[in-house]
Amino acid sequence: MSKADGERMLVSRIEEGTVIDHIPDWRADTVSRVLRLDKLAKMQADISVVILQNVSSKGLGRKDIIKIDRWHVDERDADILCLVFPGITVNFIDDGEVSKYTPRVPDTIEGRLRCPELNCISNTEREPVITRFATLKKESMLQCQYCDALLGFDKVPDHVRT
Amino acid sequence: MGLSADFLGRDVVSARDFKRDQYDEILRAVEDLEKNNTSLDGALKGKLAALLFFEPSTRTYSSFQIAAEKLGMAVSGFAGPTGSSITKGETLHDTVRMFEGYGADVFVIRHSKMGAARFAAEISDVPVVSAGDGSREHPTQAMVDLYAIRKAFGKIDGLKVGMLGDLRYGRTSSSLAYALSNFDVEITFIAPEALQMRPEVSHLLMQRGVTPKTAVALKDVAGSLDVLYVTRIQKERIPDPTEYEKVKGMYEVNLEALRDAKPSLKVMHPLPRMDELSTDIDETNYAQYFVQAAGGLPLRMVLLNLILGGVR
Repeated sequence: MSKADGERMLVSRIEEGTVIDHIPDWRADTVSRVLRLDKLAKMQADISVVILQNVSSKGLGRKDIIKIDRWHVDERDADILCLVFPGITVNFIDDGEVSKYTPRVPDTIEGRLRCPELNCISNTEREPVITRFATLKKESMLQCQYCDALLGFDKVPDHVRT
Repeated sequence: MGLSADFLGRDVVSARDFKRDQYDEILRAVEDLEKNNTSLDGALKGKLAALLFFEPSTRTYSSFQIAAEKLGMAVSGFAGPTGSSITKGETLHDTVRMFEGYGADVFVIRHSKMGAARFAAEISDVPVVSAGDGSREHPTQAMVDLYAIRKAFGKIDGLKVGMLGDLRYGRTSSSLAYALSNFDVEITFIAPEALQMRPEVSHLLMQRGVTPKTAVALKDVAGSLDVLYVTRIQKERIPDPTEYEKVKGMYEVNLEALRDAKPSLKVMHPLPRMDELSTDIDETNYAQYFVQAAGGLPLRMVLLNLILGGVR
């Protein structure tokens, strides 16, 4: 069996769901954290998640892939992913048909992230604040629209609301 | 006094939200009021100011209260959490909604959390004026500070302003830095590294073409400054107590620390002061802080009048 055949056999194709490709090698756990996949599995038992790590890739040398059977990733979450991994690709699969979604850097992110400033009103228990960040694309940073704190794109996975 | 539509119904939650011509308009209006100090008396008769001070305050609360009363407004609210339902855990959200139901025409809010004023402004249908939110901002103090600078020099452009002390957690210095970014000034942040200005403040300044200088010790820059804005270094902000002992002397402003200063230097302080500003400055030409404090009342009268559309 050739090496390529062996890797193809790692996982069979899915008929319904999402494939997240071109994740930098050994970073699938970060993607999983941003997408809150652990929470998802608890909510819907029939969803299967397959994580492939260190798979050979023409473009990247090595890469990770995540296949999620019977669940579509929210496009807004895919957009957040592209702040951290700009080269990531997202394929939605419906009845075996693949449609590609190209994540784009969002102008604002609402409700998905925690503010890094602990003393921000959005981190206050019982105040019904929905966090809101503006994207500063040139600086690769987000800015909290309440307290003005800055958050580098690379720190985003650590601030995903659980 | 002219009354600009720019201010009508407007929130005042950040000094960064105002532009040069708006600052100029406010400062001119304060000057007019000081010349004719009864011109706004009763201008907002029949309106209600809700002063919600979730953090204790003496001078800011009093100046807003007196300003509102001189304008003829009714005043309600609280000057600190003690004795209010805040101690029972009532949220900012619910408190604002409640006072809105009582017919408040404007909120003046002080809160320990950063961004509280902006959040309140989102909830409220009537204007919100921040009287300080956490260590983020104190925009009306910045207006008071600009007025004191202009009063001392007759201008703001062309001046070299040093800000000294706890810049990271000091809300007055970040608001003043934002306000000054509308003017042609040179700004130097003088603080130990751990207490230097927050990155978001420096970032906005640079976006506006103002590149602040930084210094660790006052003595290195004292001779070049026109304005020295002093704030207190709070011991509890520096994690290592021995580090605090090392740095505290570097940030005490007294006549000895100012021996190289220009004779025309003005020393400012948002008050209250502790050890960082010696009383031996009080009777010198350097002292501008009492003039600065006195500007708080007319400034807040002018601002409320502009926001609520009182006397033209």
